[in-house]
Amino acid sequence: MSLSRLRRTSNPLQPHASATASTDDRTATITPATTREDIGEQMAQTRLISLQEAVRRYSWDGMQYASGAALPIGSDAIIFGRELLRQGRRDLHAIFHCNSQQLNLLAAAGVVIKAECGFSALEVFGFANGLRRAVESGHMALEDYSNLGLPLRLLGGALNWPFVPATVNIGSDLQYRSAFAPDDYPSTHKIPTVVDPFTGREIGAFSPLKPDLAAIHVTLADPYGNSIMLGTEWSRVELSRAAKKVIIIADAIVDTDCIRQYPNLVRIPDLVVEAVVHWPFAAWPQSSPGMYDVDEAHMKFMNKALGSEDGTAAYIRDFVTSYRDIDSYLDMIGRDKIAELGNSNTSFLLDPYRRWILPPDEVAALSAQEVAA
Amino acid sequence: MSETLDYSRQEMMAIATGREVKDGELAIFGVGLSMLAGYFAQANHAPHLRTMTEGGVYGATPVGGLPWGIECNRISTNATSFTSAIDALGFLVASGRCDVGVIGAAQVDKFGNVNTTGIWDDEIGHHYRPPKIRLPGAGGANDIACGAKRFIIMVTHEPKRFAEKVTYLSSPGYLEGGNARERFGFVGGGPSAIITTLGILRPDPDTKEFQLDGWFAFSSVDEIKAHTGWDLKVSPTAHMIAEPTATELANLRKVDETGALRKH
Repeated sequence: MSLSRLRRTSNPLQPHASATASTDDRTATITPATTREDIGEQMAQTRLISLQEAVRRYSWDGMQYASGAALPIGSDAIIFGRELLRQGRRDLHAIFHCNSQQLNLLAAAGVVIKAECGFSALEVFGFANGLRRAVESGHMALEDYSNLGLPLRLLGGALNWPFVPATVNIGSDLQYRSAFAPDDYPSTHKIPTVVDPFTGREIGAFSPLKPDLAAIHVTLADPYGNSIMLGTEWSRVELSRAAKKVIIIADAIVDTDCIRQYPNLVRIPDLVVEAVVHWPFAAWPQSSPGMYDVDEAHMKFMNKALGSEDGTAAYIRDFVTSYRDIDSYLDMIGRDKIAELGNSNTSFLLDPYRRWILPPDEVAALSAQEVAA
Repeated sequence: MSETLDYSRQEMMAIATGREVKDGELAIFGVGLSMLAGYFAQANHAPHLRTMTEGGVYGATPVGGLPWGIECNRISTNATSFTSAIDALGFLVASGRCDVGVIGAAQVDKFGNVNTTGIWDDEIGHHYRPPKIRLPGAGGANDIACGAKRFIIMVTHEPKRFAEKVTYLSSPGYLEGGNARERFGFVGGGPSAIITTLGILRPDPDTKEFQLDGWFAFSSVDEIKAHTGWDLKVSPTAHMIAEPTATELANLRKVDETGALRKH
């Protein structure tokens, strides 16, 4: 299908834009491609699918699931974790560069049996009570690395390397203690020692990571999965190349012309993307730079709730299974709160991209196309 | 306390930490109080400090008080570059380029080894059972401890935090002391100071055991020794650390707008 027909604003910097379809003629038939843009649009199928469908199609019990895209309280596909719970997924092996409220929630709910992390708290919001409870009770084995160790392992997976030389995490209990092999002390398998063939010096070796699925939160994606992340990337680039399947969870969907305007900033290209889910405030209560701030009150409320079984059950009742769709999800957060969080100091970061953001009805129409196809 | 200035122990700790950071250096700060100490240095005496966080936020001047995360709007608003963890902790720290890092600790031992992973009742033993209290984990501190040319440890001075030997070693200081770090080829030089709510400890040049180097106007050698879980040696040159100046306090509070450091 041609996105040109759905574009609200044509790109003034692209002289051939809309040469074959006027922006306001939504009934125009597709004419033979005369521009690179039209060729691309006719060849590619939109990858937009619903959140429910993404979880149904790409997740299973016992899988290695990676998410927690950007730091403990930043951009993260938390909405995907909520849907994993809604669909009853369990026995997950979580790969989270940093813990986030998503992992905190999944751990509190008891559906994670193994996790690998570089950092396991919630930055200034304190310890992650759900994760902590799962670890201290012995329900979940948490394997520790550092915030460089984890992305290096993802890089190794992305490059299909047999191992990654470890210059960090060695000489500490990150190397000697393994939660996955608790009787192996000092551990010889977690970060084993290898000999540098050039110097003869002993060094550590990280095992590469190739998660079954990564749900990666981004600020903006086009319907094919070309993604722009405002704020830091954290390890989303390495993760997007390491995972066997990648689902993009985008706060907003933009026209592909936006992508062509900023190709340097597209660090996750559609080439590695399986599907795209549009979900505003997908990282809530965490932040999405440019889009919305962290919801400080809910961060505290949620973390407190996850500290007990009863609190977790109530949280799941009120904030996981309570909404039906995007509209009722936004109602659940509260429209006033949405406006407050959206009025962020970092809003200027989004300004160059605003004109390309597709309105919800157009995104829905594109998703419907995918289902029909 | 000074007759004219009223400040908290945490504020003194942050100012003493900030004083260790020099103008023009490339510096990385962890989340929380270490950020306030680092950005205080920039506001006070190191305007050309090149700052970064482990998430790859560069060149930021925080606004609105203690950042609640390492890429939150309080620092993202003013950043000059956003990159990634491999860039910050790898290209700039593990590579050996970073001059100084500031990290926190739940537990620290006499060789400057840091535990931020968990609390066990006693020795963990050979079977790695779950901790009694699970802590945040290493985060970027292990990478800073391995790679930064030097690093500073900030920690509340309590006996339970100052152990003869940490129960879990999350971030390497001088390991068993002496030149033990050489065994691992770390490009970083190790911890240059432990700055606490009561004073400053620095490593003996040979043994690398941390000794008392200074106390604050409101603390004393005896109080510090009583709050340290090993038999703390006192350096012959130990002295009282200068109190904050009015300018230092004003600059600190400009960074700590929400008063996070005044609460204790």
